[in-house]
Amino acid sequence: MLKSVVRAVGAAVRISSSTTSTARAVPLACATLCSPSSATIRPFTRSLWMLNNNGASSTYRPKLFSSKALNPSVSCGCGGLHTEGDKAFGDFLSDEIKEEKKLQKSQTLPKMSGGWELEMNGTEAKLTRNVSGEKVSVTFNVNNSIPPNFEEEVEQGQQKPAEEEPEIVSTPNFVVEITKKAAKHSLVFDCHFPEDEISHGDGEEESDIFTIREVSFQPEGDSEWKETSYTLNTDSLDWALYDHLMDYLADRGVDNTFADELMELSTALEHQEYIKFLEDLQGFVKCN
Amino acid sequence: MGVVLRNLQKVVPVRRARLRKDVDTLRHILGIQKFDLGIICVDNHRIQQINNIYRKKNTPTDVLSFPFYEDIRPGKLPCPLHRDELNLGDIFLGVQFVMEQCQEESLDLHGALTVITAHGICHLLGYRHETEEEWAEMLQRESYILSEYNKLTGKHLEPLMKKCGQDR
Repeated sequence: MLKSVVRAVGAAVRISSSTTSTARAVPLACATLCSPSSATIRPFTRSLWMLNNNGASSTYRPKLFSSKALNPSVSCGCGGLHTEGDKAFGDFLSDEIKEEKKLQKSQTLPKMSGGWELEMNGTEAKLTRNVSGEKVSVTFNVNNSIPPNFEEEVEQGQQKPAEEEPEIVSTPNFVVEITKKAAKHSLVFDCHFPEDEISHGDGEEESDIFTIREVSFQPEGDSEWKETSYTLNTDSLDWALYDHLMDYLADRGVDNTFADELMELSTALEHQEYIKFLEDLQGFVKCN
Repeated sequence: MGVVLRNLQKVVPVRRARLRKDVDTLRHILGIQKFDLGIICVDNHRIQQINNIYRKKNTPTDVLSFPFYEDIRPGKLPCPLHRDELNLGDIFLGVQFVMEQCQEESLDLHGALTVITAHGICHLLGYRHETEEEWAEMLQRESYILSEYNKLTGKHLEPLMKKCGQDR
């Protein structure tokens, strides 16, 4: 027997009511807010190649209290400190970058259907589309967009084979802004991917693919969320109104297909940024 | 709490407000407004999975009902003691399956979803169609619900069971 959706929703409302988002263009991932241990769950490195003996780090064994570690053993004339540890770190990073590039499915980003234009500003992505006189823009940030894996927490102690490592999926909160030519203010929707949809995957999750968390009128194009504008919270909303809001977004191209494609795009962008970060880190550590 | 509506699929553009309104009209006709009800829209893959798990039928279908009360007499509303028990259960709508059928027969998707939901609600209220007698009883109830619905909305919907007597 399936668990009742009605009961599940009651629980979801209780959980979601404890978090509020204040940033507009850079909404924080709920997962990060809710779980204090999320930083420790997400490993720094993503692949399990380090477990093999072929990894560069296996040839280097740091000795504790060794005075050698404090002296620079390599010099490049930059005036910076260079240790054996730095060298091992650099080697480790170059192997990691190689592995991550192998995992990268494609160099090109997945396309969003529906004529959306993508614009990037660091880790923030903006999708824009014009629908007969209206401008629809969707903003999300790939930072903090990967939810912690709850399943791993539950199954602690059980050894899982490496191949079963769950795929990393980026599920950022996203902000939809709808602007009409004549109107002074934009209608802004703060949207989320519900956590249980992503983290369980046991075939019985019963949340919508994405949900609207808050709705508000905001001055057009402002990056900060104006707290003095009335904000409609959907936790305690008349469900008929909620459905109309969802249909309104669907008519403007923000539907389940869009949300699914956004997840794919954000995952690819996040991975791209991760590799870029590793390359920058390698460059910084190596000091070429 | 009312009707909890979930759209877990992306194949069919379901109009949520329309679906909710239609379900609310059916609840009004049956006098079950005080009961909670879950309506979950799923694609062929998902409904096939559920059909296989719970009915050992590995095919997609149009509707699957999961009653909260499994042993009530058809037509008798449950008498719950606690607020938690004011719940009839969940109806999974195979919206992709229904849409494909509608395309074949040039029918309106949301009209078909209303007919199928009425069928699902009857199951949640204890109606079955395993025997000839049960079938007749359920058909009668569905005909009543839809004739009332037609009166209120001006539509011309017909019961699902007129067309096929297979169990769901």
